[in-house]
Amino acid sequence: MACQAENNIPINEESAFRENRAIEWIRIERYWTDSEDFAESSPQYLPMTCQHCGNAPCEPVCPVYATYHTPDGLNAQIYNRCIGTRYCGNNCPWNVRYFNYHDPKFEDTFTNHLNPDVTVRSRGIMEKCSMCVQRIRRGVREARYDGRELQDGDIMPACAQTCPTNAIIFGDLNNPDSQVSQMVASDRNYELFGELGTAPGLTYLAKVDVDAEEHSEEEEHAAVPQSPVIWMTVNG
Amino acid sequence: MFRNPYVAYGVLASPGILLVVGIATFLILQRTLLAPTAQAAPDQPIDFPHTVHAGMLELDCTFCHRAASEEPHAGLPALEQCMFCHTAVQPEDNEQIGLLLEAWNNYEGVEWERVHQLPDHVQFVHEAHINAGFECSTCHGDVEEMEKIKQVRDLRMDDCVECHLDNEAPIDCTTCHY
Repeated sequence: MACQAENNIPINEESAFRENRAIEWIRIERYWTDSEDFAESSPQYLPMTCQHCGNAPCEPVCPVYATYHTPDGLNAQIYNRCIGTRYCGNNCPWNVRYFNYHDPKFEDTFTNHLNPDVTVRSRGIMEKCSMCVQRIRRGVREARYDGRELQDGDIMPACAQTCPTNAIIFGDLNNPDSQVSQMVASDRNYELFGELGTAPGLTYLAKVDVDAEEHSEEEEHAAVPQSPVIWMTVNG
Repeated sequence: MFRNPYVAYGVLASPGILLVVGIATFLILQRTLLAPTAQAAPDQPIDFPHTVHAGMLELDCTFCHRAASEEPHAGLPALEQCMFCHTAVQPEDNEQIGLLLEAWNNYEGVEWERVHQLPDHVQFVHEAHINAGFECSTCHGDVEEMEKIKQVRDLRMDDCVECHLDNEAPIDCTTCHY
């Protein structure tokens, strides 16, 4: 919900899900633990959003350079360049790029509730998680006005802000003191589909299953994602 | 009787010349007629005189457009803000202030016509430019001398990018497009 409100994501009607054309920049993947008895298996949840790969499969296939890597390490989608070939969505191993098959629909009451800092995407273009780039830009500007360096916690994407258990953490990976840097150093840290070698900007922390014998770490049960996006130091 | 047009009109009708003339015409039109600057200045529901407020009274732009130095959107003042002064300033012979009072007393808004139409996919951040030390008139022209506000600057992407390059501002796509 936070993501939908922040980024002007249109309301997904039931038909959108039936057509497999729903737009959810962040979705929750659900897994079930291995157990033959359904009643004993418990669900595991994994938030799935654009991984902001350092070596992104979606970028080289775009014929118009609508998706590219920003200097601060974001995988950006430039809506006005996009011509809707959908190659990028086809090439994304995480299926986190969403194509606007329809014009966005909002309830009439939403007219004055859209975020003015984010473009409303029209039919025929691709969109995806932008890591709330409007918030990043704003945070960078405000730090500059105050004449200070960016600090940990200055910038927070909508998903991280709304998460009650702080399961999503955003920060500067170049700064060794930041919270993300320390969490990435943990041996619970892993990349989703790391074997593909796309160098995701998002990594996940494996959940420690307290019910398991000897408190062993079960890597499959990932629950704590973190999003260490690297941004450039601001100048000028 | 069939007449070969190339023969009839000579070199003027040859495809090469037509192409050259066509391209030249298009470029000239694009620079003049098609430019946003060529848009006619729209009539406003109330003839708000910037000449009086910004010119004669020398009010600062941010006195009314308060968000300009703090928010991406400069914003139009609410009627309430007009009434800060116009509860007292009500010359009887002025019809335009009458329109303002009428809207205020009837709890109606005034539907101003937007003059500077940027496409939706461009995010122009007013605060960044104001805080970088630019005058409003850099883009908006000498508003205090305009009877009717009109767009004076091209405000297309090459205009933005040239200025960004001159001032060593970032020209990364996500600076403006997100």
